[in-house]
Amino acid sequence: VLKLLHTADWHLGRRFPFLPEEGQKKLSRARMDVVTKILEVARRNAVNAILCVGDIFDNPDPAPDFWQGLAKIFRTHPGVHPPLFLIPGNHDPLTPESVWSPGHGFRSQLPDWVQVVDRDDFSYEISPAAVLYARPCRSKAGENDPAMALPAREAGDERLRIGCVHGSTFDIPGYQTNFPISVDAGIQRGLDYLAIGDTHSFRDVTESVLVPTVYPGAPEPTGFDDRGAGNVALVAMFRRGLRPRVDAEKVAFWRWIEVRCRDMNELRNLLTTPDLDRHVVKLRLEMTVSLAEESEVERILSDLRGTDATHGRAGVLVEDRSGLRMQTGSGDAFPEQLPAVLKDTVARLDRLIVEATEEWERAKATRALAHLYKLLQSRDAIGGQGR
Amino acid sequence: MKLLRLHVQSFAAVGSVDVEFGSGLNVLYGPNDLGKSTVAESIRFALLLPHSSTHFEPYIAWAGGGDPTVELTFETEAQRIWRVRKHFGKTGSSLLQESRNGIDFTDVERGRGVERRLREILRWGIPEPGGAHAPRGLPTSFLATALLSTQADVSAILGQSLQNDLSGSGKEQIAAALQAVAQDPLFVELLRKTQERRSEAYTDSGAKKAAKGSVFKEAAERVKEARREKERLQALVDDSEGAEQQLRELNDRRANTQEQLAAAAASAVRLELLARQAADRSAAEKQVRLAEEEVRRIKSCRNEVEQTEAKIVDLRSKVTGAREEAKKAQELQSQSANALVSAEEEARSDGGDPSSTQTNAQLRQTLAERAVHAALQRIDSILAAKKLFDAARAVELELQQQQVRAEDARTKSSQAKEQENAAGEELQRGVLLERALEIQASEKQVRSAQAAVDHKAGLTARVQEVTGDRASLLEQRASFIVPPQSLLPSMNRLDTELASARGALDVGLVAIVTSHRPLDLTVERDGEAVDPRSVAKREEIEANTELEIDVPGVVNIRVRGGRREAQARFAALESRWKQEVTPHLEAASVSDLEGLSAKIREAQRVDAGIQQRDIELGSLQRQIAAQSDIEDALQQCAADLRARRAALGKMDIETLLADLTALGVDAAAKLERRRQQSLKGVDAARILSGQAHKDHAVAEERARQLSLALQTATAAWDSASCSFPEGVDAAMAAAQVEHAACVSSKQAIDLELASLAAQIEARKKRIETTLRDARKALEEARIKVASAQEELETAMIDESAQSGRLIELRKVLDASDLVQAGERLREATEHYDALPVPQRLVSNDEVTATQSTVGAIESAIDAIEKEIHRAHGRLEQVGGAVAREQLSDAIEEFESAERQERETEAEYEAWKLLLEQMKEADAAQASNLGLALVPAVAAQFNKLTRERYETVSLTAQLETKGVVVAGGVRSTSWLSVGTREQLSTLFRIALAEYLRTAIVLDDQLVQSDEGRMDWFRTLLKDKAQLFQIIVFTCRPGDYLLKAALVPDGSAVHADMDGGLIRAIDLRRALHRR
Repeated sequence: VLKLLHTADWHLGRRFPFLPEEGQKKLSRARMDVVTKILEVARRNAVNAILCVGDIFDNPDPAPDFWQGLAKIFRTHPGVHPPLFLIPGNHDPLTPESVWSPGHGFRSQLPDWVQVVDRDDFSYEISPAAVLYARPCRSKAGENDPAMALPAREAGDERLRIGCVHGSTFDIPGYQTNFPISVDAGIQRGLDYLAIGDTHSFRDVTESVLVPTVYPGAPEPTGFDDRGAGNVALVAMFRRGLRPRVDAEKVAFWRWIEVRCRDMNELRNLLTTPDLDRHVVKLRLEMTVSLAEESEVERILSDLRGTDATHGRAGVLVEDRSGLRMQTGSGDAFPEQLPAVLKDTVARLDRLIVEATEEWERAKATRALAHLYKLLQSRDAIGGQGR
Repeated sequence: MKLLRLHVQSFAAVGSVDVEFGSGLNVLYGPNDLGKSTVAESIRFALLLPHSSTHFEPYIAWAGGGDPTVELTFETEAQRIWRVRKHFGKTGSSLLQESRNGIDFTDVERGRGVERRLREILRWGIPEPGGAHAPRGLPTSFLATALLSTQADVSAILGQSLQNDLSGSGKEQIAAALQAVAQDPLFVELLRKTQERRSEAYTDSGAKKAAKGSVFKEAAERVKEARREKERLQALVDDSEGAEQQLRELNDRRANTQEQLAAAAASAVRLELLARQAADRSAAEKQVRLAEEEVRRIKSCRNEVEQTEAKIVDLRSKVTGAREEAKKAQELQSQSANALVSAEEEARSDGGDPSSTQTNAQLRQTLAERAVHAALQRIDSILAAKKLFDAARAVELELQQQQVRAEDARTKSSQAKEQENAAGEELQRGVLLERALEIQASEKQVRSAQAAVDHKAGLTARVQEVTGDRASLLEQRASFIVPPQSLLPSMNRLDTELASARGALDVGLVAIVTSHRPLDLTVERDGEAVDPRSVAKREEIEANTELEIDVPGVVNIRVRGGRREAQARFAALESRWKQEVTPHLEAASVSDLEGLSAKIREAQRVDAGIQQRDIELGSLQRQIAAQSDIEDALQQCAADLRARRAALGKMDIETLLADLTALGVDAAAKLERRRQQSLKGVDAARILSGQAHKDHAVAEERARQLSLALQTATAAWDSASCSFPEGVDAAMAAAQVEHAACVSSKQAIDLELASLAAQIEARKKRIETTLRDARKALEEARIKVASAQEELETAMIDESAQSGRLIELRKVLDASDLVQAGERLREATEHYDALPVPQRLVSNDEVTATQSTVGAIESAIDAIEKEIHRAHGRLEQVGGAVAREQLSDAIEEFESAERQERETEAEYEAWKLLLEQMKEADAAQASNLGLALVPAVAAQFNKLTRERYETVSLTAQLETKGVVVAGGVRSTSWLSVGTREQLSTLFRIALAEYLRTAIVLDDQLVQSDEGRMDWFRTLLKDKAQLFQIIVFTCRPGDYLLKAALVPDGSAVHADMDGGLIRAIDLRRALHRR
């Protein structure tokens, strides 16, 4: 049995501008950490080769921290390693200025067992009975099918043939200019397994066909839409003509979830999510709350987010409060025994709310009431938890 | 404010005084009339009175010694110490100095500026000096009264109001102090926090902070940055999508154009096929036509031979007739010539001349003339003979030329024939090559069709093979009876649960059998029988889960491990196992789930194999279906090949291959061109041959005639030359001599006859007429002879030409083979009939136009390819999917930044609003100063009076309305003097406390009883901890314990309670003059 570890779309150096700065750093570091995990999975499964099919870096000329960091992981990872193949993708195409360039420092720091696919006619004999064909992306977009550019099986060639290309299969929107890969390219080129990369979710494109064409997905998700990301593909190839077995193995640390809370209970329940500190949470608040509840919302958000002194309950939190509304007016939220001047302040804000002709004026005065409420609560002048 | 030191010089009765104040309670005591109030007044002067005011005049030193001078040192806040020195008088001056340590002072203001500055520092409601409303004399105000009230009107403050202040500074200071003091601590803290939050975003003036680091700036910068990035990426994506759109359009155009090209190419191929079919038919038709022409030509040639032979016969009869006519004409000419001679002789013999002399003369003349004539005839004969020779010579030469021409014509004819034959052979070769080419094309089609048939056979064989494989797999699959893969997890769970349940039963059992007599036991341990044993005494039997001991005929004991619930659970699970799993295991002929899983995987593999073969079968059948008529095509191609080989006849195609190979590509066109050339060559050779035949026949005929003419001329010459045996030249010379002699004789006679001429004229005319007639007849006869000769010659030429033509035709006829030509015609006709009939006629222009269209479309495709290449290059630069992914992140970041900006704005707007509302509420609460101050004053007054009065009523401007008693306000005028003084003092102390400033009390409580003074002493001591109190009194005991007084000696003051209380003995500090 020939065993392969197939991975792609590491996107080292990817920025997440829509996330808080600390969260960006966590996720960026996680992308580096997962490489070690992948190497461990490869060792544990005693694979014969590791295929990294494109978009290793998020751009062709990443910051030194990333390429030096990756080279260091490769260099310092203990044990004997199967050959590992790095194939430039559309995010990090092989160009003269890219990290893949022979003169780039990255290349000189790679150990011998790491090979960069920097030729269109790249091939490698994994064993006498198995050969690898790979082709790099040379630009960020392209119309030609890279899989169909791989050499076809010659008569009498009974070896296992593995293809490695980066691009979009025909069932993905926008594939036409993103290195389109025809679904039956593996069959047409006489391959036994076609390892591809680009889509971030694990997917066997050709489940019903003898030659699997598989996206392993990104080992760490890159967004809330990356459902099915976080895996590598473990491929077992038996003999020619027998469909290889492809299994997804989870390696991701992070899970990205979108949560919509329409009442306080849903928000409170979020705190009970297991392993919340390993989640990137996009929280959308779509509810109307009283002054007291708004204060609790703030407290929960602070718990999720963390402070300078405490870790947040959520790994990374993205807040969307655009759907958060407050009940207008003070109601009976404030206690009777308030100093007169504060009572007067509350009364004035209530009056502004009543007399407001515009919604934004009401909202502003309501928010001012909420500020006052929270200030009082912080002084324990109102029942509830002090801060 | 706190007073530190007072130095007064030459002030009314005071010569000088120098006092250093303590920070707490200062009691300046001395006997009446010492000048205590003057000293108190000097403080007012120092702080309030301009040095130029005339108000000082009453205070000019009574005893002289200079103008009054006051110097007061005071502190407004820590390390801010002021010293004012005023020298009153006409040469007065003011100086304000400032110090941080009370030792080193620097000048701050001088002259009038000192007052302005002092009033700024004090903020007691006194306007700047010199203004329109500036007071004259010693300025006053509510605070000046409250803090520096004179002994003359200790209750003055009760009649004062802030309303009367000329400047608002006093009210502002009191309001600020009252507000700060009156504010609730909670409110103060909240206000401070709110102010902090508000200050994070707004300047003091309420504008948004725009400096680096402000929350708005940061939010706006983030939005701006996100927008810039979004727009940059949007532009990239737009570019990318533009390029993609362009590519799509170009690809569509290319596809359309390729479709057009395919259609045009198909059309071109179809047209070319039609054209080739038409050309083939045309060529075959031409071959038929040529063959027909050949047959016609041979038949025509035969007819022409026959016609020519008939013409020759006709012409020969014409020649004979012409000869006879010529002979007749010659005879007629001869007769005419004889008639002429007869006429001449008759004329000459006419003797009717009257003159015999003339006659004789004429006779002699005639003789002479005859002689001359004879001589001339002789000469003529000689000349004629010469002419005959020349003529014979000329004929001989002409004959030789004609013979040469005839030879040339024969040679040319022969060459033309050879050329014609060569061209004919070339033509025939070309036809053979064309047929060979067609055979090759047919062979190629046959091979191609055969290959397709073989391929189809291979596909069919593969179909059978795959069908067999599929049937085998189906059979194999039929042998697998396995459940769906989806059931496996539940089975595995059941297996695990069963194992767990079994584990719960696996508790371990030990049965101790103690037998009182030997027993034969049958034991079954954990479901397995143990060999029967015999127990004699005691035996332990161990099992894991279940033990059954049977004593035959006595008892059967069955023990099962585990609790009843565990057993029930195990039984239920086992039952489920038997129902849900066991049937599958049995059906699959496996013992466990692992085997079942393997079987399922195997079944899936077989299913995949079947599916793969189904796909392959579909593909194969589509391929076979696409080649359904390939056998018919092969048969058609083979039939074509046979027809073409038959058309080649017995010619071995191998002999033609070298030529075909030499032709290279486009052999058909080359052969067609060669055939055209050969046809032209044949036609040209035939024309040349005909012309040469004609020329040869004419030359032969002429030569024959010339030969005859030469024979005639030679005979005439031979005859003429016989008359001159001496030789022609000698005869000519003799004849010429004789002619000369005759001429001479004749001339003599002529002279003789000249005279006789007239006589003879008439006769001569008659004779001449006769002669003329005879000559005319002769001339006519000659013309007839010439005409007859001409006709003869024409007839002979025609006959000769027809003979030549006949020879030529016979040669042509001899060279032709009508049978062979007929055979060729038949073959050509059969070949023509065998060729397919084009569906329609296609012109070369049409084919050329279609080919041009194909070329134009190919050029268009090339252009589109270049455009695609360029668009692709552009797309490669802009990013495609990469840019879209980045844009998606950038949009998310932009929206997040915008949300954050809106949130920040709303957040801080709310903080700002809250602060405004808090301040407004606070201001509303504090604007009533009376309300703020009343609690402080009333509380003390209640304590002092033991709550005799409910409270004190003050207006918003701090005017004292009275005291509240039984719910009503009573004017202070109802109070006793002492009580009024006490209320006034409490009011002033309350103000001083709020302002944290020094207060001067000049014998304020002289009307108070001892009890209330004790109360005040305690109060003052307490308040002295908060602010400075300066008391002028003549009764120090009212304020100080005895021990606190300045001890005897030179000391001016003495401190108590750590300096909180200072007693100052003015008797020692003050010097009167």
